[in-house]
Parts: sequence; C-alpha cells; structure tokens
Amino acid sequence: MKKGMIKATDAFERIVHWSLAISCILLMITGLGMMFHSLNFLAVPVGGLKNLKLIHNFTGLFFAVSLFFSILMWWREAGVFSFPEDIEWIKTAGGYLWHVDHVPEVGKYNPGQKMFFITVALFGAVMVVSGLIMWFPLSLNMNLVRFMYFLHALGFLVIFPFFFVHLYLGTIGSPGSLPAMVTGWVTRAWVKKQHPKWLHEMEESGKLVVYGEEKKPSSHHA
Amino acid sequence: MAEYVKLYDGSKCTGCRGCQLACKQWNQLPARQTRNTGTYQNPPALQPTTWTLMHFQEVSNGNGVKWFFRNEACMHCTDAACVKVCPSGALHYTAFGTVGLDREKCIGCKECIFACPFEVPKYDPATDKVAKCDMCQSRVENSMIPACVKACPTGALLFGEKEKILAVAAARAKEVGGDATVYGDKFVGGTHFVYVLPEKVSLYAKLPEKPRVPLTVIAWKDWLKPLSLLAAGGVLLGSFLHYIIHGPKSPDESGDSSAQ
Repeated sequence: MKKGMIKATDAFERIVHWSLAISCILLMITGLGMMFHSLNFLAVPVGGLKNLKLIHNFTGLFFAVSLFFSILMWWREAGVFSFPEDIEWIKTAGGYLWHVDHVPEVGKYNPGQKMFFITVALFGAVMVVSGLIMWFPLSLNMNLVRFMYFLHALGFLVIFPFFFVHLYLGTIGSPGSLPAMVTGWVTRAWVKKQHPKWLHEMEESGKLVVYGEEKKPSSHHA
Repeated sequence: MAEYVKLYDGSKCTGCRGCQLACKQWNQLPARQTRNTGTYQNPPALQPTTWTLMHFQEVSNGNGVKWFFRNEACMHCTDAACVKVCPSGALHYTAFGTVGLDREKCIGCKECIFACPFEVPKYDPATDKVAKCDMCQSRVENSMIPACVKACPTGALLFGEKEKILAVAAARAKEVGGDATVYGDKFVGGTHFVYVLPEKVSLYAKLPEKPRVPLTVIAWKDWLKPLSLLAAGGVLLGSFLHYIIHGPKSPDESGDSSAQ
C-alpha cells in the first residue's frame, strides 16, 4: 500500500458488496439458464435444470440476506438525495456524457450511484418476494402468483442491464474506482475527481483515514 | 404428420366413466384417497394421477334434475401457455399438434400450473413433477386412438384428423340444435380437444367461457424477456461507445504523487 492512499470502504462493506455481487451474478446465470431454452446448457455442469433451479432458489436466500445488510449499511449514505447539489449534478450527468467544465461537487455517493443503489434495493426486494412466492406458490391465489412471474421478469429487465452499467463504471469506465471495492484504498486524485465534497467533509472533520499518516484528532482543524 | 383432434360430444355421453378408468389403466395411474362431495364426480378435480375426469353437474330445471356431463382433460391448445412458460422444454408440441409432457425433463417449477387457463397440470409432491393428459402420445404415435376414446361405448369420444373432427363437431352441434355449441376451436389458437356442449357454455361449472393465455404470461414471455436482452445489449454497446467516444472519467493529471 502506497503512502497517501485514502480509505474508502471498510472490510464489512466489501464483504457485503461481494456477497451481493456474487449471488446476483449466480442468480442471473442460473436464471438465464431457465429463461431461455437455448441457454439450458448452462445447467449441464450442475447435472441438469432441476439442480440449477435449486441453486437459483438457495442463492436467492443468500442474496436476500446480503441485500438486507446492504440496505441497512448504505441507505443513509446512498439512499437519500441531497438538494440542491444532486439536482445540479444530474443536470450535467456528472460530466459522464458530455464535456462539463465544472461538475457540481457531490459527497460520498453521487446521484447516479444513489439511483443505482435505490434500484437494486427496490428491485432486489421485488425479486426476493416474487421469487419466494414462485418457490412456494401452491395454495396461493392464482392471479397473485401470475403477477409474481411478471414482476420477476420485470425485475430482471431492470437489474440485468443495470449490472453492466455498474460493471463498466466500476472498472474501465472510471479508472481508479475498482480498488475501492478490492483493497478499500483509493488515490487522493481519484477522490478529488469523483467525490470532492466527501473529501472536504472528511478532512474538515478529521475522519479521513490516510495510509501512513497518524489519524489526527478532530480538534486539529478547529 | 397430420394434426389430430379429440372430440367429446356431451349430447351422446351417458356418464359411464369408462374414459376415466381407461385413462388410468393405460397410463398406470393408481387411485388415490378421495372424498364424497355429494355428486358422482369422483375425485372432485383432476389429480396428478387422474388425467381425465368426468364432471357430473346436477341442474334443477323446474320439474326435475338434469345431468350436465363433461369430460375434463388437457385441452391441448395450439397456442399453449404451459409450453410458453415451461423452462425445460418438458412441455412441448407434438408432431400431431397436441401438447406432450416429457416427465424426465420436468423440474417441478410449477410455472405451467399457473399459466394454464384451464388449470389442467397438477403437481405431484411425491415425484416433484407435474402430470397431465398427453392424449395418449404413446398410443397415437403407434397408430392407435387414445385409451379414453377406445373405451367410450356411445361414441361420445371421437379421435381423428383435425378437419374431419371439426366438421363432425359442427354438424353435430347443428343437429342437436338449441343452445348446442362447439367449444374449443375458437380460442388459444384452437384446442386439440374440442367439445360439443348441448347447453350454454356459461352453465358448465369450472369451464372458462373465453379462455386465453394470461396477459401476465404474454407480458413476461413476449415482451419482458426479449426486452431484457435488448436492454442489456444496448447497455453493452452504449458502454463501448462511451469508452471510445467520450472516454473514461479519469482522475486529473496533476503533481499529486499518488495519482495513477
């Protein structure tokens, strides 16, 4: 670890993130295997579609637990928009789509990330609830169960493309982002570019953890 | 192979239940514990081990009681909701237009149970698979008629090429007259099991007047499914174009020693 790196996430956040991510990927692969006859072959390594269904269902439970902790952990930081800076940021699309001289400064999570979080939280919950009903549908109302299949497909329509957006922006689309979820340490230049307001706030309050530096008491800036 | 259709003519049926028994015999389906519901109808509904069932409906017509008979089994839709939703291909169309069920492939997901507008497929917890009438595929493929048709003593059940049977049905409905109608040829692409019903369709218990593939199934399979692939493809293409046109959002180059 180089000196001057800034701590962006703690170990618990990364564990929850990867639990959610890996279960989500597994759910998408197993789900696709059941969704398209042309992808039925995805079940071959596990010995058939029946096992694929079982893996899908139990991974769903793991996903539900991961989602619960994700929401518990992140909804304060990533689930609430702050005005007016988030609106200003959205107006410039964060400088991602066209040239913007000055992108409005946002905190730890930009509005795009917040929208992603809210979408995952909402549709993740939809997937868990509809999935559970699809797992144990007998003796339930026919129209209710039918609607759950629709919701499950709708959730996939939303989450599947969002997954690729997240993948792109977490890797090559925004270089320097990936380490935040791997080691947890990011460069100061990256934070300055991506989350300047958060950097200021953390420095102001003295909470910023910088590698190789003694943590200064908050009275330092007072 | 030509399309085949089975006809049940309610005006010729005596309710002997020979069809129900012949079905059990050919398909080696055991009897299960049942209960008396106050009618001759037994068991009360289709089961994983009862693929064809005689409905006995007693209707008071003022000066007595009238029997409404109906043979219930898979309707073998041309546009079958169960085939549409089946993830494994266990439910499939056969060469003669009926809906076959390959039980080896069934994964017990129960999706067909909620897709079928006639509520035909039944889940069997003992095998974790669904079961339904397959129009005696094993017999038809070997040039025999279905067991139920073979057993019918009055000719209320007929089996043959689609055009011929539909013509027979239409002629019979006309012959019976009154409220008699042909049921099955006008929806879900036309069923491969059709009825001649001597009474109004709406008078028969548990018989949908206008069955159709549920809208939720159409939305799920015909709209959302292709749309999810299209959207994901669009995102991948968009990301690629973003990368080569706009470029990634990199930290500013600066004197900062920790910049990458």
